[in-house]
Amino acid sequence: MKRIMINKDLCYGCLSCSLACMAEHGKEKTTLYHLDLENKENSSRNFIALDSNNKPVPIFCRHCDEPECVDACISGAMTKDKNTGLVTYNQEKCASCYMCIMSCPYGVLKADDSARKIIMKCDFCGENSMPKCVESCPNQAIYLIEVNAI
Amino acid sequence: MKYVIIGAGAAGISAAKTLLDFDEKNQIVLISEDEKAYSRCMLHFVIAGKRDIDTISFVDEKLFDSDRISWISGKKVTELIFVEREVVLEDKSHVSYDKLLIAAGANAVIPPIKGMEHSKNVFVLRNIGDANAIREVASFAKRAVIIGAGLVGLDAASALLSLGLEVTVVEMADRILSLQLDSYSASQYQRVMEDMGAVIYTGVSVVEVKQNRNGFVETVHLNNGAVLECDLVVTAAGVRPNTIFIPDNSLEMNRGIQVNDCMQTSIPDVFAAGDVTGITGIWPAATKQGKIAAYNMAGKDEHFDDYFSAKNAIHLFGIGTVAIGMPVAPDNSYVEAVWKNDAVYKKIIYKDGIVYGIILQNDVSRSGFWTRVIKEKWKINTSVKNIFDVTYADFFCINEEGEYTFRQQP
Repeated sequence: MKRIMINKDLCYGCLSCSLACMAEHGKEKTTLYHLDLENKENSSRNFIALDSNNKPVPIFCRHCDEPECVDACISGAMTKDKNTGLVTYNQEKCASCYMCIMSCPYGVLKADDSARKIIMKCDFCGENSMPKCVESCPNQAIYLIEVNAI
Repeated sequence: MKYVIIGAGAAGISAAKTLLDFDEKNQIVLISEDEKAYSRCMLHFVIAGKRDIDTISFVDEKLFDSDRISWISGKKVTELIFVEREVVLEDKSHVSYDKLLIAAGANAVIPPIKGMEHSKNVFVLRNIGDANAIREVASFAKRAVIIGAGLVGLDAASALLSLGLEVTVVEMADRILSLQLDSYSASQYQRVMEDMGAVIYTGVSVVEVKQNRNGFVETVHLNNGAVLECDLVVTAAGVRPNTIFIPDNSLEMNRGIQVNDCMQTSIPDVFAAGDVTGITGIWPAATKQGKIAAYNMAGKDEHFDDYFSAKNAIHLFGIGTVAIGMPVAPDNSYVEAVWKNDAVYKKIIYKDGIVYGIILQNDVSRSGFWTRVIKEKWKINTSVKNIFDVTYADFFCINEEGEYTFRQQP
């Protein structure tokens, strides 16, 4: 399966990855140029955080081999797909209990900023395509690698 | 190899899934008292009519498509004959095993209050039968008393308030959710509940309940003299491992069935996982223990290592809270740092750079790394950074497989 590799030293915090994620996952898919930043429903799955040296660090879902979010999920909404390796989120099943948010060891997860019921979970932009975040990084600080993780 | 699993809860289903993945010619038999597999954490949605038994399932039905797994549902286990390697069911049938996993869960405890027994309108909330019965009585009841303001009690309160009942909650501790929250964060839930018409008594206990001659409890009597009139009582006073079918002097027991890190009991080829072990009562522990048990049953040496259970996620009454570690500092050698505005409350308890507890209310975003940091007691350098600005970025480390690990702070 593919995973998004991160070279944080190449990240200068432009946030194109987060904006691209918001644009891709909004109610209507759009591009960075048309993204409505005032609409709370547009939310990025990934984020950039500053470390203690004030350097930007990309924090992205790993689609872990042993996902804590899946272990913690009480509704069966978070599952690991054996074939694709992706950890997928089913909004219909989700009980909005926040166990996954609490359990992700890297603090990747959050709820939506509107009703706070939907988990903002990376879906790799559909299995086969290049994720929009990777596509939009001007510096290739994030890029795809192949891992044999099932 | 024939694997038999008793219990279709988080641990049992996790074990079954794991055993199926091993792609061996194993045969798995799942036995459960439950007719269907469902998430007990969502029973209050059933009471409220928001979901039903099928939509609180946490299991992918495709799990049972394999012809390597069969499920004997709706049958209680009455006896275990270890020397014969047999499980005996309530219909007197015997199921033989090569390896056995006991994942029979826990039962709700009814507190020994005078008048509680044999009453028609006093319920616990643990099984689908309880939820259905409460919903049934709530359809004509007007006033409910809930004994216990822990997670289950407040789940019940949330459901009954949404159905329009007058709800009174009685709690012995000085605040609701006393095991998880501090006074301020608990008071936020209390305020919203009171705005919905709930009455909450803290620092009191129930001395007696009185039934009418038809066996319905009509009054609940508190130790402060208050008498609560009601037509429905839900008692949420804790659970006890379900071990009644274990023969005396067979397995080593403690709070529940004693196991080692490999989920092995004192009898070879017999394993236990989940609430029945009494280790912790939380869902992720059950899922992981079920997985570990399955690995070891299949001869693979894996160890359970996540004993840290002081972690709670609460989302009720529109307020989301994540509470990890200790909710209140035991003395003032600890720093209790608070960040607060009208909507959001954050409190971190730390000492000498080690964080012992955190409560995040109404802003739980991206907070999961704290679970790991608190569990492992990793140091935070509070002199270079505001503790509320700490994220996983401060621990960032990535390996060749793109997996994150944790870089320790000096």
